[in-house]
Amino acid sequence: MKPSYQRISPTLGELVWNAEPTDELLSIQFAYLNYVQTNFSTSILEVRQGFTRLSLLWKNLASQQEFVKLVDTIHLNPEPLPEKVWQVPVCYHPEYGQDLEDFVKSKNLSVAEVIQLHTQGLYRIHFFGFLPGFFYLNGLSPKLHLPRKNVPALAVPAGSVAIGGKQTGIYPIQSPGGWHSIGRSPLPFFDPKQTPPVWAKPGEQIQFVSITASQFENWKDADTKNFLQ
Amino acid sequence: MSTILGKAHLLRCPPGTSLQDGGRALGANYGIPRSGAMDLHSYHWANHLLKNPSQAVALELVQPGLKIKFEAPCRIALAGATVAVTVNQVGISNPSLIALDAGDLLEIGAFHTGARLYLCIEGGFQVEKYLGSGSDFVSITGTATRATGEYLHYLPTQSKAVLQAKPKWSTDWFEPETIQAYPGPDWALLSADQQRILLDQPVHLSKLSNRMGIQLEELVANELDDLPTNPVFPGTVQLTPGGKIIILMRDAGVTGGYPRILQLSEDAQSRLAQKKAGDSIRFQLLPTH
Repeated sequence: MKPSYQRISPTLGELVWNAEPTDELLSIQFAYLNYVQTNFSTSILEVRQGFTRLSLLWKNLASQQEFVKLVDTIHLNPEPLPEKVWQVPVCYHPEYGQDLEDFVKSKNLSVAEVIQLHTQGLYRIHFFGFLPGFFYLNGLSPKLHLPRKNVPALAVPAGSVAIGGKQTGIYPIQSPGGWHSIGRSPLPFFDPKQTPPVWAKPGEQIQFVSITASQFENWKDADTKNFLQ
Repeated sequence: MSTILGKAHLLRCPPGTSLQDGGRALGANYGIPRSGAMDLHSYHWANHLLKNPSQAVALELVQPGLKIKFEAPCRIALAGATVAVTVNQVGISNPSLIALDAGDLLEIGAFHTGARLYLCIEGGFQVEKYLGSGSDFVSITGTATRATGEYLHYLPTQSKAVLQAKPKWSTDWFEPETIQAYPGPDWALLSADQQRILLDQPVHLSKLSNRMGIQLEELVANELDDLPTNPVFPGTVQLTPGGKIIILMRDAGVTGGYPRILQLSEDAQSRLAQKKAGDSIRFQLLPTH
């Protein structure tokens, strides 16, 4: 799991793993992330995570050159991943998942089977991207994979839980989007008035929990508090 | 000690006008775009004239028609596009640095060259900062653009100041077609033919351009699969499955799954921000560092 380093511009480069995104890879990425932030804190501007890359933005060319000389000699142990599992309530109902009915037809599954498959696993948060507060999650059952829509929806409501290709995710804010919405969560996922603006961290896990339409409609702030402990 | 802020009344605010600074460098870990001035070169030049602190908030204009009344004395600097400027309906021949009195009306007319104008004010416009930046971004500041009727706040100068300096803004730097770029992380996935198409001919900016990205009119046929989602930055050029070329700009998301074929230099990003729909550009490959 040793990465190579690809220089891009004088101040930008990335650690490259040509591997599938897995917990094992994420553990190694975390090790490099911590290593760089600890040992290059004065010369690095930003470390940005993706599924198979860690992008490093340097203050200047000299900082990057110093890292390049060193990178092959770095030996790191994988970083243990956090144990935290967040439960995320989802109402899987056509009224809240605007594509649920089309989705079950495309997959030749019943709604109950989709709920069962979507709630049975744990999903690992790898990083935030696409939209503020949008989790990139790993762990969707291959039985639920479905290519993204050809024509994106203009407005997917905040809290929508959706499937696109091999991935599942939650729209933290209203946005255009090409994933199939199968339900909606009453939890807030992004609030710029809070520091940090998100409640979960990369490496933690998500478990979806099915709730009824009436639970969704009667959702209270106190219920949110119970879930976000 | 409390300072009484000066107010600037947006009597007419053309579409696309926003408040911008150097951007929100610390937001990427939460998926928050960088934002900030599309043309940082011009933004920094105008702020430098005013000896402003870094991250001073400025107005970014993309269309003519601004009418703004300053209710307290101030100094402003303009850079970026060259535009017609009047103060109290009198034309200003060199509008780089202007001292304004209480009640002065500033109007911005036709854009002669360039696509974006920066209106900086001494001390910067006073707005709430989030993650070190006052740049407008809808899910952060609640609005992507400013509107007619709004007031902006600033630190007034004591009186109409006499200006000695007569700096002259030049647009020579953004007029050439050349856009310098480094090979992107996925440049090597392209065939020699595809690379040639991108480098050997001028390409043109389409109308589908905004603060998130600038799309080109030309298509580059490709059969590349989507890749695992990985980081992207302002200046990253993506190639979509349909062959579209999209140059990501300041409000783009922080990660993407399309092949990242080029990475524009910082100067090229500022130059590109001054190009208009229909303008031609020519990519020039820089050696990887």
